[in-house]
Amino acid sequence: MSLRKKYFAGLGFRTNKPEFEPGEEISAFVTGHDGDAPVARIGDTILRVEGAPGNALDTRIRLRVEEFDDNDHRGTATYLETVGQSSF
Amino acid sequence: MVDKGDDPPKEEDVAEELADAREARSESRIEFYGGPAASAIPIALFIAWAIFQTGLLRISDTTGLVAGMLVSLIVGMFFAKGDWATYANTIFEGMTQRVAATAIVAWLWAGMFAQTIQDGQFVGGLVWAADALSVGPTLFPAVTFILAALLATGIGTGYGTTIAFSGLFFPAGVLVGANPVLLFGAILSGAVFGDNLAPVSDTTIVSAVTQDSDIGGVVASRFKYAIVAAVLAFVSYLVAGSVMPTVDVAGAANVLGEQAEPLGLVHLVSIGVVIFTAVRGRHIVEAISWGIVVAAVANVAFGLASVSKMLVFRAPENVAAAESLSWLPFLTTVPAGSDQVGVGGSLYAGAAGFFPLIVLTLLIVAGARIMIRGGGFEAIQNFLLERVATNVRRAETTMVLGTASVNAMITINTAAEIAIAPYVARIGERFNVNGYRRANILDANTSALGYIFPWAGGVLVGYVQIQSLVGSENFQWFTREFVVNPAEVWPFVFHGWFLFGVFVVSALTGFGLEYTTDRESEEVARV
Repeated sequence: MSLRKKYFAGLGFRTNKPEFEPGEEISAFVTGHDGDAPVARIGDTILRVEGAPGNALDTRIRLRVEEFDDNDHRGTATYLETVGQSSF
Repeated sequence: MVDKGDDPPKEEDVAEELADAREARSESRIEFYGGPAASAIPIALFIAWAIFQTGLLRISDTTGLVAGMLVSLIVGMFFAKGDWATYANTIFEGMTQRVAATAIVAWLWAGMFAQTIQDGQFVGGLVWAADALSVGPTLFPAVTFILAALLATGIGTGYGTTIAFSGLFFPAGVLVGANPVLLFGAILSGAVFGDNLAPVSDTTIVSAVTQDSDIGGVVASRFKYAIVAAVLAFVSYLVAGSVMPTVDVAGAANVLGEQAEPLGLVHLVSIGVVIFTAVRGRHIVEAISWGIVVAAVANVAFGLASVSKMLVFRAPENVAAAESLSWLPFLTTVPAGSDQVGVGGSLYAGAAGFFPLIVLTLLIVAGARIMIRGGGFEAIQNFLLERVATNVRRAETTMVLGTASVNAMITINTAAEIAIAPYVARIGERFNVNGYRRANILDANTSALGYIFPWAGGVLVGYVQIQSLVGSENFQWFTREFVVNPAEVWPFVFHGWFLFGVFVVSALTGFGLEYTTDRESEEVARV
């Protein structure tokens, strides 16, 4: 990332319900469960993650968005790999 | 945590350690009389001690807090059920956490750098700049804010800046006729700015490493908030300077001129080197090391500080080796048995200055570990997530107000920051708030609140310094009427208030908000 981008990244107002495109690959923390399935809550948007390991809570994973509903800001995604852990 | 380092074993170590922490959180391995809530006794007792010592008695003594944490850990042990060896071992577990070790290494380097440029007459350079500008009483507070901010950004310590400026710029400003209350507020505002933004600031380092973000990236990402608050503060000092009453001191002398050293400004280059290399993504230890090298070379080349000012071995004169090597620029001999025998210089003093804080940090992290193992951490976290931080805006507001509240109570800001950091991390992660953003919320409010309230450590160090001016040899004209009571200055720490306000507005509106999906931190400055 260029120096200019480092200084100005995030400048502006961000929605509390970010949107994602099907096929998009992102990295996010698994933040809870919806029934048996782990979910990644990004702001107030919720992605249900399929295929994540049972102990995925609070780990950071790469996932691929499969479906996304722009109206209720919910979607489903596929677990790809675990890339990190919670800070504490 | 995303550690993209190219040393696989190191990454595995960190992953293993974090996995242990996760396991400790999910299993209550230490049972307490009184249930999981009793696991919070060491931390709660420490907070009570800190409020009593710093808030009530106004004693800013970090080693006193070390004693408080030690006593708290002992008291907590009496509430643990069964074998106390588990409790004792958890203290060791906590003290060996990497999150503490990383901050400690960065502090040691930052301490050496800060002292080296201070001994290299950087303050003298700022004095020269102020003197050259020949500012009057209405402009003096605004200019003081900018110069104090510059010093604090360079040396990373708001307390050090407050002491240096209260002892020199404050009496100079009063002599010029500036309003003393506004002047003290401007000095504290500069300290807030540097504590918040400097890559070598202890609070910057803690905010970055506890939120798993690289220090350079954190500094770059917080620039936008800091500059908004600074512009508002600067304008406020201009306006307040022109409407608030000025003072008239008879027998004014050239206080600033006597301390001026234009060449001291060369350390703007040393500071620039640290900021540039850190923001470019180099490891903070490497970035500060370059800063130390540039500062040391500049000190010697421009005659700002001798080699022995930066590092000196003072050996007893009856030691033969010392006698024969006394030609070395960093070796001197002193009478045998003298209390002068020892090692000294800015590299030594700068690192040593952090020793009490390092011990305190290790003990607080140990206390937090006991709370994690006893289930208290999870209970508070679940309460916040289920009842308070139920959506991303409320979560961010909780982080802002939670950090501010803890800092209002524990007035040594780094200690407060370490205590609240795990909650900011966990609440933020549960909404996938980016590590940079979490670090910014944590540090801005820590920096701001540590210099506003009358019982805050940053205010008290300045107050003590100003009090010492009364009747001092150099400032015989300085009477008690010019001393600013800590209770008067809080409305005038403009940068602190604006920084806090910027983050309240940011949390409510999403200004500057980034998610973990937006970008990843660069390599975290792990040891």
